[in-house]
Amino acid sequence: MSVAIGASARSVPPERLRAKRRADRKRRLTVLVLLSPWIIGFLVFTLYPILNSFYWSFTVKRYGSPARWVGLANYELLFTNDDLLTALGNTAYLAIFGMPVRIGIALLAAALLVRKRRGNGVYRTMFYVPSIVPAVASGALFFFLLKEGGPLSGLFGLFGADAPLWFRDPQWAKPALIMVTTWALGDLMLILLAGLVDIPRSLYEAAELDGAGRWAKFRHVTLPMISPVIFFIVLTGLIGVLQSFDQAYVFSQGVREGRLTGEPGGSLLTYAMLQLRLFQDGRIGFASAMAWVMFLITFVITMVMLATRRKWVHTATEEWA
Amino acid sequence: MSRSRRILGVVGQHSVLIGLAIIFALPFFFMLLQSVTPIEEAKTSVLWPSTFDFGNYGEVFDRVPLARYIRNTLLVCTLVVTGTIVSCVPVAYAFSHMRWRGRGVVFVLVLSTMMLPFQVLFVSQYEIFSNLGWLNTVLPLVVPSFFANAFSIFLLRQFFLTLPTETIDAARADGASEFQILTRIVVPLAKPGIMAVAIFQFLFAWSDFFGPNIYLSDEANLTLAVGLVRLNTAAARLGESNLTMAASVIFVMPLVVIFFFAQKIFIEGVTLTGTKG
Repeated sequence: MSVAIGASARSVPPERLRAKRRADRKRRLTVLVLLSPWIIGFLVFTLYPILNSFYWSFTVKRYGSPARWVGLANYELLFTNDDLLTALGNTAYLAIFGMPVRIGIALLAAALLVRKRRGNGVYRTMFYVPSIVPAVASGALFFFLLKEGGPLSGLFGLFGADAPLWFRDPQWAKPALIMVTTWALGDLMLILLAGLVDIPRSLYEAAELDGAGRWAKFRHVTLPMISPVIFFIVLTGLIGVLQSFDQAYVFSQGVREGRLTGEPGGSLLTYAMLQLRLFQDGRIGFASAMAWVMFLITFVITMVMLATRRKWVHTATEEWA
Repeated sequence: MSRSRRILGVVGQHSVLIGLAIIFALPFFFMLLQSVTPIEEAKTSVLWPSTFDFGNYGEVFDRVPLARYIRNTLLVCTLVVTGTIVSCVPVAYAFSHMRWRGRGVVFVLVLSTMMLPFQVLFVSQYEIFSNLGWLNTVLPLVVPSFFANAFSIFLLRQFFLTLPTETIDAARADGASEFQILTRIVVPLAKPGIMAVAIFQFLFAWSDFFGPNIYLSDEANLTLAVGLVRLNTAAARLGESNLTMAASVIFVMPLVVIFFFAQKIFIEGVTLTGTKG
């Protein structure tokens, strides 16, 4: 485009050139007007809050009164704070145990639905619908299902087993959380399904000619081919786990009203819940420091994942994402 | 593969599918069942109620101002959807059918804001809204949506890119202004895409708990999501899970209905977010 303008500039008379420049300026202005909602929103609701809370993170601050500079004190206190370690531990637990379960079952469901078959639409709908249930509603629902004497405890009873006390036993609260989020795996399933559909049949046929069995085909064709999709899911999943809040809030509030301690025994204290508690206690400097630590963790996860992308993602599909 | 082994494989796959489908449907089944369980039985661990008590649905309207919650939620949803469409359509147009220097760089900046957790932003946003005197109103929940969000810009751009460039170039050659092209050609052609973004925003605003929980305090101003959590907390103490489940059904049902009417749009939208990250 610009080459064409430059080439024609030498041959056209100056008045035409001026008209062209005027048109260019008008077009730039048009772009600016079209973008203005985003530009204003970015400056006011994103950039300013980030920079502002960066400043606040070095201060003692309450709303309505000026901030007092305390240097790194908030960060030092944060990292010696048992609650923060608990919250990070809970997050790690959810990432390490929750994500593989969710991705595994979503992949199983997608793999079973990838071939066109009668009835697949119905199954797909049934697996997907739970994921449109708002997180607080699925939280309330599983809080009911898993409570003492609830339907799922009843089912445990049918098998003669004692149902765990999901919301009173710190050992079982996080598995309950993983259970709800696994129920809502519909988005993952759809994304994986789209990835599976894109794998050319010819690759499987070639593998079959080489005598590959079902597992070998999965291991050497399916997995490498959908590795970009899994990479995307793991990356967004890790960032998501760090923000997990709604269901943990419903579970722990249902057990004990009041302060956000993540009952039972802090086992449901998520990072976002701890930050909200500091915010509600009016410790804005602390809450801002936590916001920035979260920002940095998100940034580091993304950068590390992107830098090591070649290790996870099959290279023949490099141009894909 | 022999014929009998193939049949066995198909039967095996179907039984796994049926098993999974039952597990995924069971929570809905118990939600509906509990929502019509009489109060005395809800407090015990009876799995199947002796009678269906639809009075629970009336009772929950008496117990909490559910009608207010519904009204407030619909107000927030309508404004959020309107704001998002009005602000994101022009931005997405500039990123798809106009050429300008720096477009790629700015688009990466837009996408990178999608990564930012709300937790990073709200501490400071709260002071802005507090200074404006907007606490305990819907304004903090809806005003930002009039200033475009990355996710919707991204989705709309994906849809706009599928539109025929020849039509747009022809209109430009005929002297149509960019605003005319946007309103007369792109918007009518991209209606399914705009619809998808509207539905996703509706779903998001309907379900959101974190924002309304921070900004709304008066009982009469709450949205359904916050109201449900408070009801759940109160009902858990009294063992009235039948009321919580009745409220949950009221909260979830509209979304399920929307899903069934717009299934194709849903699935396309979700797939788009995943495959072109």
